[in-house]
Amino acid sequence: MLHTVTAACYLLAALAAAAGLALRVRAAQRAGVFLLAGGALIHAAAFWQLHTLVPTPSLTELPLASSLMAWLAVVSFLLLHARVRGLALAALVAPAAFLGAFAGALWLGVRTGSGEELHPILAHVHIVLASAGFALLGVAGAAGALYLVHHRAIKAKRAAAQSALPSLEALDRANGAALALGFTLLSLGVLSGVLWVLESQGQLWPDGVTAKHANATLLAWLLYAGVAVLRFGKRESARRAALQSACGFALLLVAVVGLRVLP
Amino acid sequence: MNLLLLGLSHRTAPLELRERYALDDPQPALAKLVNGPEIEEAVVLSTCNRVEVLVATREPLAARLRLRSFFERELAPAEAHRARELEGALYELHDADAVRHTFRVACSVDSQVVGEPQILGQVKDAYRAAFASGACGPILSRLYQRAFATAKRVRNETKIAERPISVARVAVQLAEQIFESLDEKHALLVGAGEMIELALEALVKRGLAAVRIANRTPARAAALAARFGASAHGLEELPHLLAQSDVVLTCIGGHEPILSQVAFAAALDERRAQPIFAIDIGVPRNIEPAANRLEGLYLYDLDDLQGVARANAEERRREIERAEAIVLEEQQRFDGWLGALAAVPTIRALVERAETIRASELERGLSGLALGEREREAVEAATRAIVSKLLHAPLAKLRAEQDREAGLAQLEAARVLFGLDAASDEADDA
Repeated sequence: MLHTVTAACYLLAALAAAAGLALRVRAAQRAGVFLLAGGALIHAAAFWQLHTLVPTPSLTELPLASSLMAWLAVVSFLLLHARVRGLALAALVAPAAFLGAFAGALWLGVRTGSGEELHPILAHVHIVLASAGFALLGVAGAAGALYLVHHRAIKAKRAAAQSALPSLEALDRANGAALALGFTLLSLGVLSGVLWVLESQGQLWPDGVTAKHANATLLAWLLYAGVAVLRFGKRESARRAALQSACGFALLLVAVVGLRVLP
Repeated sequence: MNLLLLGLSHRTAPLELRERYALDDPQPALAKLVNGPEIEEAVVLSTCNRVEVLVATREPLAARLRLRSFFERELAPAEAHRARELEGALYELHDADAVRHTFRVACSVDSQVVGEPQILGQVKDAYRAAFASGACGPILSRLYQRAFATAKRVRNETKIAERPISVARVAVQLAEQIFESLDEKHALLVGAGEMIELALEALVKRGLAAVRIANRTPARAAALAARFGASAHGLEELPHLLAQSDVVLTCIGGHEPILSQVAFAAALDERRAQPIFAIDIGVPRNIEPAANRLEGLYLYDLDDLQGVARANAEERRREIERAEAIVLEEQQRFDGWLGALAAVPTIRALVERAETIRASELERGLSGLALGEREREAVEAATRAIVSKLLHAPLAKLRAEQDREAGLAQLEAARVLFGLDAASDEADDA
């Protein structure tokens, strides 16, 4: 039930944020952020309730993992929002959060009363860390995508004197902060995943159905490692960093979600 | 007297064309224009956004040819295809339309950035220059005085200037789309003219960390810098200053760009990809347009600002409509004055003719009568009253006619009906 309410909250937030961005109404954008914050609180309560019912919930299941990622993405966005004026980011984060929470709500509805599933603790550590990394890299990708849109508008002299989008510098900062934290968490997630496989299969790299996921995740991690080196080491231009963040997240999305969903 | 205005502006001509026709000093042009027989009074307005010549003339056709030749042959003598490039760019307004246009320009309704205050100062400068050179007579003086009064009314009675979006303000707003805050940013202003001063004022209000002013004449930059707590530099320091600047605003004279793409590329390289926002409001342009191809540089020139200003136009539409109503009212008032001015010789001739007839007929009539002084005075007063009452309606009509065409037709009719031209010919012959 709480997951369903959360999904409804995120949906309303997405509508308000999108309307605010399209119509340049800051009040609607702010309402979107408040709804996201409210949704995140209900989402946390939903996970707490789930934890009291099932001490080790099946986070290895994609719908529930998606819901966790959605919650972490919203929390990351809210933390970033406190530092960077990026109201417009809500228009990208809220719909993604809705999809994650909605998938979780559907899955929980189907699984009600089906019993507990116990998983090794390393699996949960891997999933929580990787989900948090995924969520933050999602925020970085969203900030990157908005940066590219805004950059294009300013460069092509199509910018309005008062834009609903945050400044390029704010988007770049949001992108940088989310990338730094997201990449760290993703790295820890990959490491804990390797340890989980080592514990469960006695080898460093998985076989069978999870091999594709592991390979794609490693590829995404390598890509992000490159992005991080270019961004923080070589101080590459903000536009290229934004492009890499957006493309990197698209690949990560395929690695984590696409390979499980697609045949 | 007829009024004629010829010009090109941001509405009809691109920046490349406007910068070729811009005048640094209108005085020689004014002297040339009023020296000829076609033009009696002239005012030349040359700003970044427009070059316009307004003249008062008794020979509108000859004046029109003279002004066309002025634009095509004298303003840009080096151009090979002047007439062709001016096709479509040059507009021509007559009488009431010219008056209305001048009022709209002074009120900043016709500006690239509607409501910006600089244009009124520029119109005043153009008027002063014409007045000082003796090119501005009673008609244009009156017109410009009314234009200034109209601009004042528009500012007081509408909200058009409540949130003026000047070039400087637009620049600051655009800068805020690139940078999160201007607090820690460094600005470089190239030039030391009025536009730079206004920009400086707007930028200082946003609390920039440092402002530097570079100019050909360092003394002028120093004087401006001292007023705003900025630092003054010579143009030779530009490459070094560029690398330290987040916001660059240029408005300096000269026919060649003073900041090249190469200079910006070097600066961006030195800044390690930190972006630069450059606004070039110079005419001719001060920054090589190709520099906008550089990834970290956001370059806006005057025409680009028009695009930004357009976004604000919708919000200001209602205020503009109110301003237009004031302009129309003032234009009709001025037209009435001009019409009345045209009616003065006719009215004078009509009154003189009536008085001549009255006096001669009275003299003839009274010569055969033995009237006393009091009776003569009574008869004289009665004839004066009759003439005055008979003329009252036509004179009032001639004075009050607001429509210029109808007024001229009435004047013509009055001259024919009362035989004024024949009377004046007789007087000349005598």
